[in-house]
Amino acid sequence: MEGEFHADMGPQYEGEAIRKEDLYIEFGGPKAAHKFELATVKSLDEIENEKVEIIGPDIGDLKPYDEEKGGGSYPIAVLIDVAGGELDKDAEAIIERRIHMFTNMIEGWYHMNQRQDVWMRISKDCYKKGFNSLRELGEIYILLYTSEMPIIESIQVTIITDEKKIEELLPHALEVYAARDERARTLNDEDVDTFYGCVLCQSFAPTHISIITPNRIANCGAINWFDGRAAAKIDPDGPIFAVPKGELIDAIKGEYSGVNTIEAEKSLGNYDRVYLYSAFEHPHTSCGCFEAIVYYIPETDAFGVVHREFKGETVVGETFSHMAGETSGGKQIEGRLGTGLEQLRSSKFIQADGGLARIVWMPKELKERFKDVLEKKELYDKIATEEDVKNVDELLEFLEKVGHPWIKGEVELPT
Amino acid sequence: MTKTIAIAGKGGTGKTTVAALLIKLLSQKGVVLAVDADPSTNLNQALGLPLDDSKTVGRIREKMTDDVSKGRFSPSISKPEYLFSKIVESLAESKGFDLLAMGRPEGPGCYCASNEFLRASLDQLVKDYKYNYIVMDCEAGMEHISRQTTRDVDVLLIMSDPTIRGITTAARMKDLIGELRSKIGKVGLIVNRVKGELSPEIKKAIDESGLQVIALVPEDPDIAGLEMKGRPVTELPQESPLRLKVKEIARSLLL
Repeated sequence: MEGEFHADMGPQYEGEAIRKEDLYIEFGGPKAAHKFELATVKSLDEIENEKVEIIGPDIGDLKPYDEEKGGGSYPIAVLIDVAGGELDKDAEAIIERRIHMFTNMIEGWYHMNQRQDVWMRISKDCYKKGFNSLRELGEIYILLYTSEMPIIESIQVTIITDEKKIEELLPHALEVYAARDERARTLNDEDVDTFYGCVLCQSFAPTHISIITPNRIANCGAINWFDGRAAAKIDPDGPIFAVPKGELIDAIKGEYSGVNTIEAEKSLGNYDRVYLYSAFEHPHTSCGCFEAIVYYIPETDAFGVVHREFKGETVVGETFSHMAGETSGGKQIEGRLGTGLEQLRSSKFIQADGGLARIVWMPKELKERFKDVLEKKELYDKIATEEDVKNVDELLEFLEKVGHPWIKGEVELPT
Repeated sequence: MTKTIAIAGKGGTGKTTVAALLIKLLSQKGVVLAVDADPSTNLNQALGLPLDDSKTVGRIREKMTDDVSKGRFSPSISKPEYLFSKIVESLAESKGFDLLAMGRPEGPGCYCASNEFLRASLDQLVKDYKYNYIVMDCEAGMEHISRQTTRDVDVLLIMSDPTIRGITTAARMKDLIGELRSKIGKVGLIVNRVKGELSPEIKKAIDESGLQVIALVPEDPDIAGLEMKGRPVTELPQESPLRLKVKEIARSLLL
C-alpha cells in the first residue's frame, strides 16, 4: 500500500524532528492563530467511508516558508470522524491522540501538541518527493487508522485550511475538549486497574512514596493519574512507576493490597498499610513538597487546611513552615496530612473522616480559590478564615454561630 | 554522539562572547543546541537573535505550575508531553543552531516533578533533533548543571579575567564540580583580555588552583566597538584575534 504514497512510513520516523532549515511549510503552531484537531464518534450512516475532503488551499497552492521573508505558517483543522459498533465517546480522545503518532510515522512530517495547539511541519525533502497534497495525508490517516484500530468500522477525514471555516468550527472543538476534561476529572479509582507511585522526593524523604490515583493527586500537586501514566510509559523504571492496585480492602478509607505492598517495599519496610482517604490510623506519608497541610484541631474534632503561600499563623498559632517541619520527612503522622491542593476537589478527599465537611478553617485565599466546590457543598459560609478568627476559642464561637454542619453533628461518616 | 560543552564564569569575563563564537563555529560542522543558562547575560543578543522573555524554560515551568495549582490545567493533557512541546515552541531556530533560554531559577515550592519532566524533555529534544553539539552559557553557580536540568558535560571551560580575584573564582568553580551529580569530562581555564604575558602572581595562582590553561585570549579591539553599538559578536571579522583564538580552542579540544 505504501507504494501509493510519496513518503515512506513507519515507527522509525516517529522521533524525526524538522528544524526550520529543512522546513517547507507548517500548519498550526505558535504562528497560526486558528488550529485544532478533533476526533468524533458518529453513527455509521453519518459517515461516507474512506472519504477525504480538503476545504481550503492545499500544500501545492500555498507559499512555502522563506528563509529571508519568513511566512509559510498556515491555519489547519483535522477532523477524524469514525463509526463502529464498539466505539463510544470515551474513545474519541484516544483516537484523536493517534493523529500525533500517525503523522509522525510519515517520513518528512512532524507533529507536535494536541487539540487547539496542534502544529505540523513538512520537510523540503518530503515536498520534493511529490507530497504536495493534504489529500494524501488524509488517505494515510485512513490507512493507518483502519489497519491499527480494527474497532473502527468506518472513517472519513476532513482537513481544513480555510481560516474562516476553522474559526467558525473552533468554539465547538473547545466545548468538546472542556467536556472531556470534565469527564477526566470524574474518573474514579474504581474505573482503573493501575495506580502510580512517585519516589522523586526520596532524596529528602527516604520512606516517602506518593500514591497517585484518579481520585488522588500527588502531594506536590504536580502529578495526576494521567501524568503518572504518561511518565511511567516513557520510563517504566524511573521514579514514577505503575502500581497494580490489587484487592480493595476498604473502599471508604481507600486501602488496597497493591498499594500496601508497594508502600512496604518503597518505605524500606517502615509502613505496610496506607489509607488513601483518611488522616487517621494509616494516613498517607508526606514528603516535603506538599502544597498544603490538613491538620487536626482537637478542640473542634475537625481539621484546618493551610497552604504553602500562607505566611501568617494558622488558627492553632503555628505557621505553615513550622507545621511542615513536623509533617514532612516521609512519616505517617496521625492527624497531619500533606496534600496537593487539587485534592480538595476530589470526591474522596478524607472521605472516611467526613471530607470537606470536616474542614473548619482555611486561609481566605484558599477559600476563594475553592469557592465553587465549597459553595456546591454549602460550606463556603461555614469555614472560618484568618479574617474571621484569631484563635481556637474564637473559632469555636464562630462555628457555633454559623452552624457548621460537623459541629452540629449533621455530618454522617460513611460506612 | 552529542558533545556537550559548558562555558562558565562570572559576569564580565567574556564567556558569552566566547560561547557565541563557539556556537557559530560549530554550527558550520553540525547542528548546535545553544543553551542560555545564565539569566543575567544575553546569549541571544550576542548571537543576533531577538529576545522573547516569555519563552524561557523557567517561564514555561512557572506557568505550568501556576496553571496546575489554580486548577486551570487540563487534566487529560500529560505534563511531560506539554512541557516538551512548549520547549520546542520556545526554541529560537537559526541557521545551524537553535537557541534555548533557561531563564530564571525557580521560586519557593516544590519543583521536583517539573524539573524531572524538564530533564526528560531536554533529553528528548537532544535525541529528536539530533544535535551534534550542545553549547551552554552557564552562570558562575552552574545552577542548571547542579540541578541536573542539564545532562553530563564533556568539556567545561571556565573563563576568567587576568586578575587574582578572577582566578580565585575560577578555582572555586572547579571545586564546585566535585559536588555536582553530573559527570564532567575535561575542565579547562580560559584567561581572557590578556595583555602581553601573565604576571608571576597570576601564574602562581593558576598553578595553585590546579586548573589547566586551555587558552590565553588577547584583548580584541573589535569587540568593544561591536558591544558599544549593540551588534552581535558574530559580526566580528573572520581574522579577528578572538575569533581565531576560539577556532584554536575548538581544534585543541578536538571539537
